[in-house]
Amino acid sequence: MTAALRYELRMQLRRPDLWSVTAVTVVLLWLLTARSLPIFLSEDPRTAMIRAIIICNVPLPIGYAFLLADRLVRDERLGVAALLDATPSSRPGRLLGKYLGCAAATALPVATIYFGFSAVYTIRNGAPQALSWALAMFATITVPALLFVGAVSLCGPLVMPTAVFRVLFVGYWMWSSYLVPPKLVPTLTQTVIYPMGGYPIQVFFGYRGGHASGGSDWAGPVPGALFNALRPAPTVATAWLSIAVIVGLAALTLSAAHLVCERRTR
Amino acid sequence: MRIQISHLTKTFWRGARALDDITLTVPTGMFGLLGPNGAGKTTLMRVLAGVLHPSNGRVLVGDHDIATRTGRSSIQRTLGYLPQDLGVYPDLTAREFLDYIGLLKGLDNRTGRRRRASELLEVVSLTSAADRKLKTYSSGMRRRVGIAQALLADPRLLIVDEPTAGLDPEERIRFRTLLAQLAGERTVVLSTHIVDDIAQTCRELAVLAHGRLVFRGTADDLTARAAGHVWTVATTGPAPGDGVLVSALPQPGGVRYRVVAGTPPPGAEPSTPTLEDGYLALSRQREITPAS
Repeated sequence: MTAALRYELRMQLRRPDLWSVTAVTVVLLWLLTARSLPIFLSEDPRTAMIRAIIICNVPLPIGYAFLLADRLVRDERLGVAALLDATPSSRPGRLLGKYLGCAAATALPVATIYFGFSAVYTIRNGAPQALSWALAMFATITVPALLFVGAVSLCGPLVMPTAVFRVLFVGYWMWSSYLVPPKLVPTLTQTVIYPMGGYPIQVFFGYRGGHASGGSDWAGPVPGALFNALRPAPTVATAWLSIAVIVGLAALTLSAAHLVCERRTR
Repeated sequence: MRIQISHLTKTFWRGARALDDITLTVPTGMFGLLGPNGAGKTTLMRVLAGVLHPSNGRVLVGDHDIATRTGRSSIQRTLGYLPQDLGVYPDLTAREFLDYIGLLKGLDNRTGRRRRASELLEVVSLTSAADRKLKTYSSGMRRRVGIAQALLADPRLLIVDEPTAGLDPEERIRFRTLLAQLAGERTVVLSTHIVDDIAQTCRELAVLAHGRLVFRGTADDLTARAAGHVWTVATTGPAPGDGVLVSALPQPGGVRYRVVAGTPPPGAEPSTPTLEDGYLALSRQREITPAS
C-alpha cells in the first residue's frame, strides 16, 4: 500500500492539470467572492472560517473529482494494470494506496486555498484562533467530503466512461448541495449523507443561516420534504454519525471497486 | 521450476473461449510458445502470471497452485513478467518506475533495490536516460524498461510475451542472448509469433492455435514436420499456386520462391526445412486441429 501511495502521490503532484485546474478554481472563487471578501474578513474568526469553507466546498470538490476520475482506469489504458497484477502486492492494498496517494495530492491545492484564506485572515485581524477553527473545520467538514468524493471519483469510471462520470458528477454535486431547496426538489441536503457536512457545520460550529436556498438550517428534518428519515435531529451524536456514514460510504465504494476489478480477471 | 498445466480452459465474459483444454508441461530452461495472433498465447501467459484466473483446469508452478491466493502470491514472488502490451507511467523516470515495481515485488531494502535498478538499466543500455521521464522514451526504450523490470527480483520464472517487438535487430539479438543466458536454472517462457526468436533460443516449444494446443515437442520435431515438403522454384511467371509461400526473393530474370507444399510445383527443387517451414507445414496440415 505504501509503495502505491508514495508513487501515486508523486505522479499526481507532477500532473500539470492539477495546478491549472487549481488556478482556474482560484480565479473563479475570486470572481465569486471578491465583493464579499471584505465582509468575510471583518467577521469573527469562527464565522469567517465556516463561511469560507462553505463557499470552497461548492466548486473545489468538482475540480477534485475531475482530477481523480481518470486515476484508476488509466492503469488499464496505459497498459500498466497487468504488470501491477503480476506482482505479489495485494490488489486491495494497491487500490487503497492509490486512493490515499491521489486523494492527498489532489487535496493539497484545496487545503492551500482554504488555509491561504485563513492565513490572510489571521494576519489581517491578528486572530490566530482562526487557524484553529480552520483546522477543526477542515478535519470535520472537508476531509470526510473529500474522502467520499475521492472514492466515488476514483471508482465511478470503472462502470462508465470518464467523461460521462464527470458530467454526472457535476449534476450530482450541484443537486446535493445547499443550492437546491429540499422542499422544491428531493435532495440530500440536510441529511446525514449530505457530503458537504451539514451536521458538523450546524452542530460543531453552531452555524445557521447564510443558506443559498433561503433556509437557515444545515441539518435535520425539513417539513414536507422527502428523505426526512435521513434527517435526524442535529445533535453531537448525529453529527459524528454523519461523518461516519460519509466515510463509510467511501469505504463501501472502494470495496465495490475492488470487487469489479477482481471480477474482470475471472 | 516446472510448470504443469492440466485441462486448462479460460472462458471470458459472454462465452468467448480463449483457451480450450490445454494440457502441457513446461520444463526448466527456455521454452517457446508459438502461434498466430489470436491463438491464446497472451491469455496463457496472463494465466501463468496470475493476472487472469483459470475458468477450469489446474496450473501448478513448482509446487504452487495458481488458483489459490497463497499459491499465486508465492509464484509471483519468483516471477518476472513482461506483458505484450507493456505500459509505463509517463510521469515517472525509468529509475523511479523500476523502484516502484521493485517495491511492489517486495524488494524492501532501499539500497539493494536501487542498486539492482541501476544494474539492470546498465544491462538494457538505459543508464544515460535513467532519469528522464518515460514519456520522452521511444517505444523500443520503453520495451527495454519492461525487460529491466521483469528481471528486477532475480526471477526463477520469467514469462515474456512478444519481448522483441519494437526492438531493433541488434537489441533483439542482445535480448535473445540475455534470455538464453538467464535460462540455466530458471524457467523462461517465451511467447512470440516471430519464429526466428524461438529458433535461436528454444529447444522445446509448443504451438497454440484457436486456443488449443496443436504441437508440443522439440524444435527439431517441428522442423521435421516440413521434411520433404519444402521447395524452391525460380520463375518469371506467377507464384506457385499450391502450398504456403514462405518467401519470394527477386533475382535477375525472375523471382525465387520458397514454398511448403505437399507436391512439388513444376520446376521446383527440394530444400532443407527450417523451423519456420515446420511451423507453416504444421499450420497447413492442421488448418489447424489439436495435437493428441
